[in-house]
Amino acid sequence: MTYKPPMALRRLVPLLCLALLPLAAIAHGGQMDMVHEPALGAGAAFDAHGRLWLATVRDGHVVVQHSADLGKTFSEPVQVNPATETIYASGENRPKLATGPAGQIYVQWTEQPGPGWIGYIRFARSTDGGRHFSAPITVNHNPSKVTRGFDSLAIAGNGDIVVAWIDGRDAAQAKSAGKPYAGFAFYYTWSADGGKTFAPERKLMDHSCECCRTALARGPDGKVVAFFRGVYGDNIRDHAFAVLHTDGEANHPQRATFSGWRVAACPDQGPGLAIGADGVRHAVWYEASHGPAIWYGQLDPGHAPRHALKLGGPGASHADVAVRGKTVWVAWNQVNADGYALMLRSSRDGGAHFGAAREIASSNVAVGSPQFLTRAGAAYVAWNTADGFRLIPVETR
Amino acid sequence: MRRLLTILLLTVAATAFARGIAIEPLGPNDVAALLKPPVRGERIVMVWSLDCVYCEPNMRALAKLQRARPRHIQLVTVATDSIAQRARIAARLEAAGMQDFPARAYTEPSPARINFLIDPNWGGELPRTIVIRADGSRTAISGELTEKQLAQLAP
Repeated sequence: MTYKPPMALRRLVPLLCLALLPLAAIAHGGQMDMVHEPALGAGAAFDAHGRLWLATVRDGHVVVQHSADLGKTFSEPVQVNPATETIYASGENRPKLATGPAGQIYVQWTEQPGPGWIGYIRFARSTDGGRHFSAPITVNHNPSKVTRGFDSLAIAGNGDIVVAWIDGRDAAQAKSAGKPYAGFAFYYTWSADGGKTFAPERKLMDHSCECCRTALARGPDGKVVAFFRGVYGDNIRDHAFAVLHTDGEANHPQRATFSGWRVAACPDQGPGLAIGADGVRHAVWYEASHGPAIWYGQLDPGHAPRHALKLGGPGASHADVAVRGKTVWVAWNQVNADGYALMLRSSRDGGAHFGAAREIASSNVAVGSPQFLTRAGAAYVAWNTADGFRLIPVETR
Repeated sequence: MRRLLTILLLTVAATAFARGIAIEPLGPNDVAALLKPPVRGERIVMVWSLDCVYCEPNMRALAKLQRARPRHIQLVTVATDSIAQRARIAARLEAAGMQDFPARAYTEPSPARINFLIDPNWGGELPRTIVIRADGSRTAISGELTEKQLAQLAP
């Protein structure tokens, strides 16, 4: 015999369940609350016509806007991913945007597809001037739910789209086998068909740092090169440099900074790189072997950088670098108790000497990392702040 | 149906008495109080973030240290992630068994300013363990603590 409760009770049960849901969520750490705060991670680029393109993250979507007046006004945002995703968009993880030679807009980001330190590298493109984007694809062929992130994006001279990231699969395998493994690993892939498909990823190097952004740049030969923090020996957090070959040639990552900074920590400060037409590799990086310091130098892989110059100490962070002819610009965030200053130094002799540091912008609210953009020989700094995105022109003195 | 009602009532009871981790905000104006020397013993402030792979073992080791000397050590965790992410922060703390310790999270979406106010000679690398003693002295260490460092924290 089956018990049949009275109709009133049958109606009450689902109502009671619904009423309990928020209470259950609060009891489990408030997991129903949402992140409404705008993330500061943003990616920007100029296209061949000098229009500024900007990718930011809003409510689970990467959105793209463009500006024909150097960031004074922007078009309505266009959603890139139609379905919401949990997107990494703070700290050194940010969406990336690059433009192709025929006006393509390429957008890349890291999705967190579930709880914990896991990530998928995602990519979409627009071939109609940013009006619509292709369905996002996951770039990493390996589907394991491991840490991935701190991705970077660059376009090779032949139009190939090169994508790199930090990947935790080797560390996870070692852990499950009970073996030690320092850091994570640096992987990359490329697309030779304009972003429709990507080649199976290649591992460039074991033992990368786990939590610092990676830098890619295009050299005068059109090849894309990488500069990123590694883990050498007993937790020494120096950087590696390598050409990312997309033709099957063997890769040769080489240590390129030699600070000897040893720490079992997440620095959350990755490097920057720009290659001159003369092939000189202008780099900026952070280390704290003798207190916090950001540096400029010209990479000579296998040896200490040339023309090394300490740009800033306490409170200086997240530098970027750009080069045009013999002019080299470096910019970084300088924080103090009242807020943030965007600092600049420039060189007119290819980085051999730099003028004094000067403040080119300030903010009393939180800021993201500065990103250099160049257009028609002039440089700009893209600076996303909690009060909105700013494009700051850079004058050389 | 009786079983369903029993489950429902048990859920009500469990939910009402379950205790989530309350994350308190830490803004620029709160830093001085956080760093004020305790009346006795020492306060250990462990600064961490959601993305930091070295932080959880450090957290567990400090919790063990505190439990061994509960009258001497206060332990406070501070997430550099914005408090807007309080659900993720609470979930991570809960997974690490940190329910018994006061927990704070930065009020700003970028950590650099509050980092600077806590210690201008720190570049933000995590974990950061700050020991503040009753006599006003202070020690700060970046990175996952070694056994030797842990032993020296609370002599």
